[in-house]
Amino acid sequence: MEYAIEIKNLSKSFSSKKAVDDISCKIEKGQLFSMLGVNGAGKTTTIRLITGLSKPTGGDVLVYGKSVNSQMEEIKPLLNLSPQENAAAGALTVWENLVFMARLYGFSKADAEKRARKLVEDFSMESELNTKAKTLSGGWQRRLSIAMALVTDPKILFLDEPTLGLDVLARRELWTVIRSLKGKVTIVLTTHYMEEAEALSDRIAVMTKGKIRAEGTLDELLSATGAPNLEEAFIKIAEEDKNNV
Amino acid sequence: MSDRVMIFSQRNLKELMRDPLSYIFCIGFPVVMLIVMTAVNESIPPQAGMTVFQIQNLSGGIAVFGLSFVMLFTCMTVSKDRSGAFLRRLYASPLKGAEYVSGYTLPVMVIAAVQTVITAAASVVIGIFQDYTFDFVGLICGMLMLIPIAVMFIGLGLLFGTIFNEKAAPGLCSIIISLAAFLGGEWMDIEAMGGTIKKICDILPFYNGVKAMRFCVAGEFSEAVTPLLITAVYAAAVFVLAAVCFSKKMKSDIR
Ligand SMILES: Nc1ncnc2c1ncn2[C@@H]1O[C@H](COP(=O)(O)OP(=O)(O)O)[C@@H](O)[C@H]1O
Ligand SMILES: [Mg+2]
Repeated sequence: MEYAIEIKNLSKSFSSKKAVDDISCKIEKGQLFSMLGVNGAGKTTTIRLITGLSKPTGGDVLVYGKSVNSQMEEIKPLLNLSPQENAAAGALTVWENLVFMARLYGFSKADAEKRARKLVEDFSMESELNTKAKTLSGGWQRRLSIAMALVTDPKILFLDEPTLGLDVLARRELWTVIRSLKGKVTIVLTTHYMEEAEALSDRIAVMTKGKIRAEGTLDELLSATGAPNLEEAFIKIAEEDKNNV
Repeated sequence: MSDRVMIFSQRNLKELMRDPLSYIFCIGFPVVMLIVMTAVNESIPPQAGMTVFQIQNLSGGIAVFGLSFVMLFTCMTVSKDRSGAFLRRLYASPLKGAEYVSGYTLPVMVIAAVQTVITAAASVVIGIFQDYTFDFVGLICGMLMLIPIAVMFIGLGLLFGTIFNEKAAPGLCSIIISLAAFLGGEWMDIEAMGGTIKKICDILPFYNGVKAMRFCVAGEFSEAVTPLLITAVYAAAVFVLAAVCFSKKMKSDIR
């Protein structure tokens, strides 16, 4: 079977610091895969390595069977990401940002507008259509950022800390949006919120210090650690690592 | 040209046109300077033999001065983008190194062209009040002579925007703007000054850009050839350097 993503002994060092340390895992098509870890665990670096925003210092990633080391140009059209920081063109409106992104990935003007209209509908952004990105609230900016990634019809969507800095209501709304995407597109999500990983994921990888310490469904992680909830399981997994060092 | 370049250019043009500062500096400022310097010229007694502020000479000086502000805007656009997450997100898109460079250059070329036309038109109007009639062909040729110096300024903007951060880059551009104004003979008669200053000005592109337009306006087309060639060499060198630096920087950002 061809996986959406196959991470093979992937490493990334910044001078002496190992940001990602020899990780391997497979992500099936259509799944929502979460990387759960505290700040500095290496989640963003892993996403940057898969999306071509950084080059591995070791190992490889196969995206739909293509290597990030040698076939990045072929991989690029298959992916899109919503980065950790809000990343829209500030002076452009919500609508213009969406059409811009779609066209940049090769959609004709008519198709780009059609896709943008669909995204506006799916994300209930009608009221903010003509608002400039830089004047949007945090929740709307994040929503736009994700919509800008989806408008290019990626096979794999990367969401780096999608609800970071959002209030509890905006977070819940965004969860609903993300849940509605499940099954339609492979999603790789990073978070340091336990409840977010718990609420959204098909599978969860626990990362600490650049390594994947455990990987599986929520139930698998709970039964392996004998913990009542993900938070307890996470703590056990993270502690185990400390005892090993 | 690829569709991607056009799409990225359109975004950059929108970004520029929605910044009110673009209008003030790129369009308003040259016109205001033309009017102010013409007023200054009126108060200079004819015996002084000061000709740089006469509209036929002033137009070239202000046109080049205006283009130096296009450099500032190119630089600000690029450095601002580089400091934000938007551009880094585009690095994951199919847009390629050379396409970024073209995409930044085309919109500012449009602004440079609009600015030059407005400066020329304003000069013609001021000329009417000053009893000077511009030769139409001379003026058009003069404007075309500015293409290399425009490319050079845009290249410098791209270069500074690429190498320096959002804070340092505009300051550097300001230094070049002042330098270009003095060494470009916009505010003083380089020919009358002579000596080392004139030698320096003749080597650097700024005064050559001004001269190329002034000669054309005066109908001395053959005189404009050498200054044109000098600015063209600078333009090619600076622009290639800027493009290479941008691509290098982009690669090093993707580490
Ligand atoms: N460009 C970089 N240069 C040096 N160190 C970096 C760089 N990017 C990330 N790191 C380091 O790598 C580690 C992992 O960072 P990151 O992937 O951002 O973690 P996370 O997203 O899980 O919070 C951190 O210790 C961070 O300081
Ligand atoms: Mg991160």
